[in-house]
Amino acid sequence: MSTDALDRHAPAQSGIDRALGLLDGFREHIEHVQPTLTGLPVLWVRRERIVEILRHLKAPPASFSMLYDLSAVDERLRAHRDGLPAADFTVFYHLLSVDRNEDLIIKVALTGGDPNLPSVTRVFANANWYEREIWDLFGITATGHPHLQRLLMPPTWHGHPLRKDYPARATEFDPYTLTVEGQQTEQEALKFEPEAWGMQRERDGSEFMFLNLGPNHPSAHGAFRIVLQLDGEEIIDCVPDIGYHHRGAEKMAERQTWHSFIPYTDRIDYTGGVMNNLPYVLAVEKLAGIEVPDRVKTVRVMMAEMFRISSHLLFLGTYLQDLGAMSPVFYSFTDRQRAYKVIEGITGFRMHPAWYRIGGLAQDLPVGWQQLVQEFLDWMPPRLREYELAMMKNALVRERTRHVAAFTTTEALEWGVTGPNLRATGCNFDLRKQRPYSGYENFDFEVPLGQHGDVFDRGQLRIEEMRQSLRIIQQCVDHMPAGDYKADHPLTTPPPRERMLQHIETLITHFLQVSWGPVLKPGESLQMVEATKGINSYYLTSDGNNMSYRTRIRTPSFPHLQQIPSLMRGGFVPDMIAHLGSIDFVMADVDR
Amino acid sequence: MPYRLTRAEEEQESSDRYPMGRRQSSEEYVKSQLERNVFTGKLSDVLNSAVNWGRKNSLWPYNFGLSCCYVEMTTAFTSPHDIARFGSEVIRASPRQADFMVIAGTCFIKMAPVIQQLYDQMLEPKWVISMGSCANSGGMYDIYSVVQGVDKFLPVDVYVAGCPPRPEAFLQALQLLQDSIQEERRPLSWVVGDQGVYKAEMGSQREQKRSQRIEATELRTPDKL
Ligand code: SF4
Repeated sequence: MSTDALDRHAPAQSGIDRALGLLDGFREHIEHVQPTLTGLPVLWVRRERIVEILRHLKAPPASFSMLYDLSAVDERLRAHRDGLPAADFTVFYHLLSVDRNEDLIIKVALTGGDPNLPSVTRVFANANWYEREIWDLFGITATGHPHLQRLLMPPTWHGHPLRKDYPARATEFDPYTLTVEGQQTEQEALKFEPEAWGMQRERDGSEFMFLNLGPNHPSAHGAFRIVLQLDGEEIIDCVPDIGYHHRGAEKMAERQTWHSFIPYTDRIDYTGGVMNNLPYVLAVEKLAGIEVPDRVKTVRVMMAEMFRISSHLLFLGTYLQDLGAMSPVFYSFTDRQRAYKVIEGITGFRMHPAWYRIGGLAQDLPVGWQQLVQEFLDWMPPRLREYELAMMKNALVRERTRHVAAFTTTEALEWGVTGPNLRATGCNFDLRKQRPYSGYENFDFEVPLGQHGDVFDRGQLRIEEMRQSLRIIQQCVDHMPAGDYKADHPLTTPPPRERMLQHIETLITHFLQVSWGPVLKPGESLQMVEATKGINSYYLTSDGNNMSYRTRIRTPSFPHLQQIPSLMRGGFVPDMIAHLGSIDFVMADVDR
Repeated sequence: MPYRLTRAEEEQESSDRYPMGRRQSSEEYVKSQLERNVFTGKLSDVLNSAVNWGRKNSLWPYNFGLSCCYVEMTTAFTSPHDIARFGSEVIRASPRQADFMVIAGTCFIKMAPVIQQLYDQMLEPKWVISMGSCANSGGMYDIYSVVQGVDKFLPVDVYVAGCPPRPEAFLQALQLLQDSIQEERRPLSWVVGDQGVYKAEMGSQREQKRSQRIEATELRTPDKL
């Protein structure tokens, strides 16, 4: 473990030097350089200068063009803070430079009963929702924010749920009741007030129409609401409203053990299955210092790619359905059924297998898995060809999608867009290539790119990605390494059963590790993966306990939805529906 | 057969809480009719059966999804599972045209008033299937933002266990709903007889299938396909 841990620290050290070099003019405002297991430089800076520092970092030569993540930590109950600046709350900014393939985390310490800091929306446009989120969940005010309102919780909500003194369980509150009066108040509170968003009700004497789309609408892919300001068919402006799917996953992580949180990750991007387990277990393994055997890595890659295909198939069906084609969804769901046959055969479950474990897998591959997977690998290519012929080469689809809702790489980075939607603009940034994890460096595959960043490219690209995933899975089948399906490490959970059966001491250890779960040393770690919809990451803070102190889940769909207004202004309603279909989002991946 | 009676226009006694209407256990009222007059009793029985047969075989679902369970629900609509076999393939995007609503997914506090409104917009006769642990009881989400079971404010007809339930389980729930509709007694007209809605107490599948379940003594080991 030790050499490996050193390896993981090594790039961080040169990264820290580079980061300090870039911030040369701000030396006196850097309070602390925090050593972590994230593999990234983490710098604490003074609150007063945060806007200038971020502006400086965004511009060349630093060119951290993307605000990848922004969130907060309630530090008040944290026991192990050795050397960290005093803070009641910490806000962190995760910056990403695509050009230099480098990241930087900037932290700001806040103290006192009314935590606040300057808003950075004027530097990074996509800070808007993130700052509303930390106001909503932590009660941290971003001064100068254009519209600081609740984002995830209902407008009538009291309190800030991610604060440590806020109860987590629903059963700690009075049982939920809905009265006629309450129903009216809630509905009233959801009413859209154009003035509150600085919108005009009319122009040149003719009134605009305000159309409320959602939170239940067949083409909104779940509980998503967007209010449109219309002049005829033209969208003057629009306001997305989210939070109808907030399941408090981050709070949940603070009460589940490291091990028992795994099933919750499956349900973040619920079409992604075990793809969601991957960043989480990798981050936990970093904290625990576990190095898993090659077999585990390869099986993980194989199953994650299976889910990428199944998720992309769902995308393809609904994307074309949103364009008005009824039958593709029937074809693609037939294929998904085939994929599920493989997934179920191997993991025993269809949608949410929660099959990865800390330091390994739930079980080994079953006897005869090769043939099962091979059947699927042989089935898919002709189907993909057919999709391309019947749909993507179809003149109607082309006319309908070409140059619709197009954006450039610069715009994409400005809004934090990642994954296939970013690559559709021609930007070659795929973490599986750029920062290989779980053994992706050993696979031979290509990263498909688009050119125009329009609805068509986003669809076409995903078909190509499925081909590449099939290629990866084929390599897994052909070269599956032999070996154990669990790492030989004391923190592997659940520990091998054979070890428990020796004497009472081993039995007790086993019992504790299964019932209480493993205890991880204090520290912070982070793992990003190229998930089905974009970059998904887990930023874990351990306080030396059997559960996490703070788990930040950065999901790709959140920024993708935030980008909609900037894209749709001046567009038409049907184009927006086409764009919604092409984003490929699920609400659980937005609201968590 | 014991029934559960819901009266729609019962004058409200202090409570304005959802679910609306008053529920009580009741005996099958057809029996008492029958005792009074053999002929009309029989006739309404036949009529009820005929109407119920029609209702249960053309249930139109409301296209409504909340989260993960909805994916498995839509899977049931596509060709490998083909819900058309049970007469329910006509998905309606408007609650006003739908017969039943499937609460497929987690019921969020922010979403609950919206769900209630959509339910109110559906026309009688209407039914509710609660699909998945989240809708049944909150499931694994005992968390501040989730209602612990949609039956806190909606009357539920069938509960489907699972997280998510398989599409087959959803299809079974649909058939159970059909069975229960066959036994229902609703007013045949606003001038004929009792105006209450009588729903049969169908009993839980868990109880009914217990003996079948414990018969299984050998389970497949997970290391084989
Ligand atoms: S029951 Fe499970 S699958 Fe269904 S919505 Fe809840 S978490 Fe998702």
